[in-house]
Amino acid sequence: MPKAPQRPGPSRRETTEVALPSSAAFQEAGVSDTPIQAVPVPISGNEEPPAASRFRIFIVDSGWNSAARRVLLENFALIRDLQREDPIYVLSRERSIEFMRRHGSRIGRDPIIAVHDMQALGKRGTAGFHGFRLSLGLLRTPQQALMGLQAFARFLVTHRQSADLEADIRANLRREGLMGAIEIAMHHEAREIVA
Amino acid sequence: MFDRFTEVVSLVLGALAVAYLVYEIDRRQRKLHDLWDVLDGEDAVITNTLEEMVERGELLPYAGATLA
Repeated sequence: MPKAPQRPGPSRRETTEVALPSSAAFQEAGVSDTPIQAVPVPISGNEEPPAASRFRIFIVDSGWNSAARRVLLENFALIRDLQREDPIYVLSRERSIEFMRRHGSRIGRDPIIAVHDMQALGKRGTAGFHGFRLSLGLLRTPQQALMGLQAFARFLVTHRQSADLEADIRANLRREGLMGAIEIAMHHEAREIVA
Repeated sequence: MFDRFTEVVSLVLGALAVAYLVYEIDRRQRKLHDLWDVLDGEDAVITNTLEEMVERGELLPYAGATLA
């Protein structure tokens, strides 16, 4: 029986998360998964407290010198701002390499962004659907990688309240495949992201 | 005779066009599934490993503004 995941960190109703300057020191030391600091901050009566995290986002990047990696690095701050409600866990290079050594079929697909749907994990554990992953490293050009990253951010933001995330993902994949075919039939250029 | 021939050619070309469309839809969907993959029972080990790292405090939410 899979263990039901716990919600990350302290209650956001009472605290807010701030990045301290010392995070640079962690990076210099080769530790990319810098601890987040929680500082109690009173919330005024008018402010709605942020909802509990629906997702946990994991980034696995062993450090290939690829367009996808550069795009991820350049746009990470924006991704973080867009996904403010969800914790992002960045595996260090060493951990990512260890991960790739254990799961060799994933080599060359990183950076990989894995999203755990905490709602699905809480209900069914890891036996069934419990999230999705974007293998950004499969996108070879900066433009493709950027479009992939944008689609990722868009999907998370627009499906945060989804009752059935799996159905939404499968429907989107079907629609994308069909759209590509329609574009071919209409003699339009094929979609860059899947070309 | 000529009409029959053009009919056959049209049919073959039409069938080829439909086959190409089906092939292209399938190819794109495979590629998309490769790119966007759902996590299910096959990924249970990886998911559990990552979740356990979080529970143990080995992985903490990233606080930096940018990636190194």
